[in-house]
Amino acid sequence: MNSADKIKRLFEKAELGINPNADEKVFQDVFQARQKITTKTPAIPGIWRITMKSPIVKLAVAAVIIVAVLLGINQFGGSGTSVVWAEVARKVEASRGLIFRCTDSTASDEYDYSIAYTSPRYCRKDFYKDGQIIRTAYVDFTGSDTNTLIDVFHIHKLCMTTTFKKSENGLFLEWRNDWTNPSFLVQTILSGEHSKLGRKTIEGVLCEGIETTDPACFGSLPGPVNNLQVEFRLWVSVETGYPVLFESKMSGEYEGQWDESGCVIDQFQWDVELDSSILELNIPPDYEKVQRPGVVGP
Amino acid sequence: MIIFGIPLFGNPPKELCTMIEDKLLILRFKQGRNGALRQIYDKYKVELLKLSIVLTGDVNAAEDMVHDVFVKFAQSADRIRLTGSLKNYLITSVINRTRNYRRDNRRRSEIGLDKVDLVTSAERGPLQWAVLSERLELLSRAMQELPYEQREVISLRMETDLPFRRIARLQRTSVNTVKGRYRYGINRLRSLLNSEVDK
Repeated sequence: MNSADKIKRLFEKAELGINPNADEKVFQDVFQARQKITTKTPAIPGIWRITMKSPIVKLAVAAVIIVAVLLGINQFGGSGTSVVWAEVARKVEASRGLIFRCTDSTASDEYDYSIAYTSPRYCRKDFYKDGQIIRTAYVDFTGSDTNTLIDVFHIHKLCMTTTFKKSENGLFLEWRNDWTNPSFLVQTILSGEHSKLGRKTIEGVLCEGIETTDPACFGSLPGPVNNLQVEFRLWVSVETGYPVLFESKMSGEYEGQWDESGCVIDQFQWDVELDSSILELNIPPDYEKVQRPGVVGP
Repeated sequence: MIIFGIPLFGNPPKELCTMIEDKLLILRFKQGRNGALRQIYDKYKVELLKLSIVLTGDVNAAEDMVHDVFVKFAQSADRIRLTGSLKNYLITSVINRTRNYRRDNRRRSEIGLDKVDLVTSAERGPLQWAVLSERLELLSRAMQELPYEQREVISLRMETDLPFRRIARLQRTSVNTVKGRYRYGINRLRSLLNSEVDK
């Protein structure tokens, strides 16, 4: 452990207690200061507008595209010459609906894993913590010139609806189009160096895998990331031709800090006809509903 | 999946979850829900107090400053344009007040403000807000031995996990200068707290 780590540990161990009586008094001061403000609450700028103005979130949003690429690897990764991989591309393209589980290798206090349900027109993602759904995100792509994101925060009992003009989404939500565009994905994946991993059995299913460590598969990044390193592996069932397991590791330097992450996507269910009730909005009546129409461009 | 502090396909990292949660809290607060004010207060009071204490070495002054930060926040939250995180906003408020405090007490500083003994919990009245552990008192004393800029960098980095780039922006200097201050500060603290650091 280096000096900085030791000092950091010392800071963490240096505890501060709070005297509850004094604490209540301080809070009452704060509360009363608030009470004295009689100004009517002005219009609040849209949360998502604020969010989208943030460079970090713009980058985040742009990174959604990267996910599309990652999922593209799931769906269309291949050497381009193998009959198996060409078949994977064809089958995945023809898949009507898809369900998968995504587990981050980076520990998260917020949730343990998520389950995504996607169809060409709708998408839903449930975030689980201790076996309970803590958040559900719905995306509706069916509007003629708008897309709608409905984010339901179960802990906060809050439902936030945001409408985006398709033309002004930037990269946000447009990823869906890319995801459903196999030629884009195949082109992207094939633009990077990749190699075959041979065969192995995953949960009783004989699979064939490919791997790429070529950062070029990301294309140009939406922000300044140095020393980007990637490691993506996709395993496809030899029998069905559908992806069974996707593993990723990524690292790089962003804003002066080393960052790394990874995930495992598994439990794929390809070409399923999703029950309409799954993609149907299900918002408990006691949830607060917040509209964010202001997010739609000027 | 998370990379470079950013979410991929709606899996936000902790920082972004905090940001979303904060924005929801502020939204509710602006809608007049006082429970949200309580949540914000409870969420950040300890972190801000610790930051202020290690920066000033004066628990009473630190309490006053953090108290003031929360009062001002409560009064002006409607006008606050949060383009970043609430945490960063509150941290910046503490930093600005600490700098003002130092400036206003320049005369005291000339006679050794940075060298004054830390006012410990035991010496303070019954309405003390912050109760310092022995280790925090020790750390605060050692921190006062550092030049203020180094102290600021170390505090922000260690206590609030602020990236160097943000600290540089806050100090209006280059990232390299901030990293240098961090390095020197760590070495100095290490020598000051040698036995404690290795525990």
